[in-house]
Amino acid sequence: MINLSIIPLRSPSVVTRKTGNEYVLVPVENNIADMNSVYTLNETGAFLWELIDGENNIEDMIEALIREYDVDEQTATSDVSEFITEMSKYLIIN
Amino acid sequence: MRNYNLDIAGYNIRFESEDDGPELVPSERFDNFICSGGKPDFLIRVHTGSFTFHEKTERVFNAPYVEEVNGLMMKKNDEFWSIFQYNNDLFLKTVFPYSGNNEEAVLKFSLSQSVWDLWFSSKSKGIDPLSYPLDGLILYYLTVISGDIMIHASGVNYSGKGYLFSGVSGKGKSTMAKLWDAFGAEVIHDDRLILRSESDGFYMFNTPVYKNEKPAKSKLDKIFLIEHGKENRIVPAGGAQCVSLIMANCIQHNWDKKIITRLLDSVSGLCDKIPASRLFFKPDHSIIDFICGNEKR
Repeated sequence: MINLSIIPLRSPSVVTRKTGNEYVLVPVENNIADMNSVYTLNETGAFLWELIDGENNIEDMIEALIREYDVDEQTATSDVSEFITEMSKYLIIN
Repeated sequence: MRNYNLDIAGYNIRFESEDDGPELVPSERFDNFICSGGKPDFLIRVHTGSFTFHEKTERVFNAPYVEEVNGLMMKKNDEFWSIFQYNNDLFLKTVFPYSGNNEEAVLKFSLSQSVWDLWFSSKSKGIDPLSYPLDGLILYYLTVISGDIMIHASGVNYSGKGYLFSGVSGKGKSTMAKLWDAFGAEVIHDDRLILRSESDGFYMFNTPVYKNEKPAKSKLDKIFLIEHGKENRIVPAGGAQCVSLIMANCIQHNWDKKIITRLLDSVSGLCDKIPASRLFFKPDHSIIDFICGNEKR
């Protein structure tokens, strides 16, 4: 069960570019073997990424997702947890 | 010779050696790219001797030596080439895997200056300043400075239309180039291209890999991100997907955020202007008919 009070932060070692309603994320790497790890965020992922501002905790993100997309709490919690897990390379979770 | 200029992808690159420096002997694959001077965009001064790094120089990027064995990429040696940094100076240090000796070279360069220095430890009388892997690495950093793109791709021009077929090793770039060549198209290159934005659009240029190559350039009209398939099929790609698919096929050394940002900007600009699609193709001439037929719609 994810700790809802955690405030995730964006890793400083990633470059992002917004394209329309989506994002492209490219991590800084120091070895050529780690290339090709470009990541894209669809519209929902972009929405969650933009909530990661150093102030919103995970509970805030869940509530914002519920409001924006009119989904139930269980779905929103699952979506945000999955997002945080998948994006762990691009985030700092203290 | 003591100096010569190359015109590669529209970059005028001058190599100079001082009187007590090495004789410069570019390999045959550059013969048709030697040009008659002109104002160089970049100057690379070539020296022999060893180079001593400042004790606080740090390695920022490393490339081990890998070889493809039975379709798998196998690491052969931890040491191949690396990028180092000390203050605002960058250094590329490399060995030469095909030379059979322990020679190495150090390039001192900068992303904000166009005069670089290149030291070879070799005691040979003749030096090719673009011996592998220096050729691709130097060209890559020229594209970084210029905001251009170096990409794993084959490119052809058929009836005035420039098509780029991009994919990493094994996806069919060379196969596609051979099919179009047999059809009568001009093949710009079958493996590695530089893409540059000019006032009237994007152009693709070959990079010298093979003997007897001549400089080639074509306007770029369409991008295909290729994979082998059981049938020929086009799926348009746009937005972030287009940017990420193209980025994945670009040569990129992502040790610095500014370098990544420049490439992202360039690729985004490319995706804004040039239509791109995923192309699944059967490796026979039916793909030519398919693409030409698609053009007519």
